[in-house]
Amino acid sequence: MNTGVLDELVSALRCLPSVGPKSAQRMAFHLLQRDRAGADRLARALGDALTRLHNCARCNTFTELEVCERCSSPRRDASQLCVVETPADMLMMEQTHSYSGLYFCLMGRIAPLEGVGPKELRLDRLLERAADPAVREVILATNFTNEGEATAHYLGEMLRARGLAVTRIARGLPVGGELEHTDIGTIAQALSERRPA
Amino acid sequence: MTTGKQRVDGQPAFLLQAHPYRETSLVVDVFSRDFGRIGLVARGAKRPRSQLRGVLVEFQPLDLGWFGAGELRTLARAEWQRAWPMLSGPRLLLGYYLNELLQRLMVRDDAHPALFDLYAEAVQKLALAPAETVRHEALLRGFEKALLRELGYGLTLDHDANGDALDPQARYVYKPELGLLEGEGSGDDVSMTGAQALALHEDDYADAQVARLAKTLMRVLIAHYLQGQELRTRRVFIELQDL
Repeated sequence: MNTGVLDELVSALRCLPSVGPKSAQRMAFHLLQRDRAGADRLARALGDALTRLHNCARCNTFTELEVCERCSSPRRDASQLCVVETPADMLMMEQTHSYSGLYFCLMGRIAPLEGVGPKELRLDRLLERAADPAVREVILATNFTNEGEATAHYLGEMLRARGLAVTRIARGLPVGGELEHTDIGTIAQALSERRPA
Repeated sequence: MTTGKQRVDGQPAFLLQAHPYRETSLVVDVFSRDFGRIGLVARGAKRPRSQLRGVLVEFQPLDLGWFGAGELRTLARAEWQRAWPMLSGPRLLLGYYLNELLQRLMVRDDAHPALFDLYAEAVQKLALAPAETVRHEALLRGFEKALLRELGYGLTLDHDANGDALDPQARYVYKPELGLLEGEGSGDDVSMTGAQALALHEDDYADAQVARLAKTLMRVLIAHYLQGQELRTRRVFIELQDL
């Protein structure tokens, strides 16, 4: 029995996050035995995605067009530019239905211990995007992790130095949150960033 | 020293770095007071509702419990001892630099309680001290020197390599592993006067030239002990300063 092709499929599936040898084998057998149509669809979808999707020239998220639909929509407010870490973060912002500006997706964050700095993140593309004279405000919506904070800090410095108004999304207790059930880190931070009532 | 099964609780610790592990877990590299640097699996820590999400954060004094043996133990419990403000801006980058020094120079499972206390003190200063009162350079140099001393790479700056007293006017060269040798030195040698060496010994960085010298000396020594490994946080810090 020549299983070179099977081995290759199993080891290829392991490139997915959190897929180990056992899961990869299970997936391979499932696709080959139980769902060959699904396997065919997956193969074609992957191929199409690889050849047709690339980063939007404006917001850096994935699109089939040169500039994605959101970035070219006349209904979006071009004066606001919201910077997020990932496309998933962008989708969350969209689900709020309370933001109508445009986005820039970093596709990562500054991670000093992993050696991810401004060059690896290609921050020059954000600078270029933010230099559009239509942009009046840049909203930093990176995560409230230490890495997200480092990213926001340096983006803020860099954009302010170029004369842009920069804001950071607020943090504190979650909506509907009760002090009694909130972690002390959130409460301490909310206390130190309290505002006039 | 720490072989065999063990159950530990109420251990003061800091998170140095967290890596994703399997679908919903994290592997965390922590610096604990009495057990040194260890690796722990935090099961389910990446789940949206995991209470560990907001707890396993760098630069916060943690109180940890774990069990198991070997390379990776299992985190049983994690709480904040208290809440320090999150580090911000350059101080956050300095914090990452301290973490990387510990990760690269300190082997696993080697307890360094005195170094732990110095780290805690340094992070506390970065978190709490008003901006104008923290002298970043002095804080870094003090920590770097203490780190080398604690790890057994201590540097001798109060007498020369032969054990003789320093002549404040004479010039010396600092050689890693050896110490101060009288002479002018050449090229990449770190050279200083006897008076400057004594100021370094006393952690007195008031003189700008001594402060610069301390920085160069530490960079050379740390590079020597890293044996060619790059300090990523240092590179990223420099790149960010240039933005």
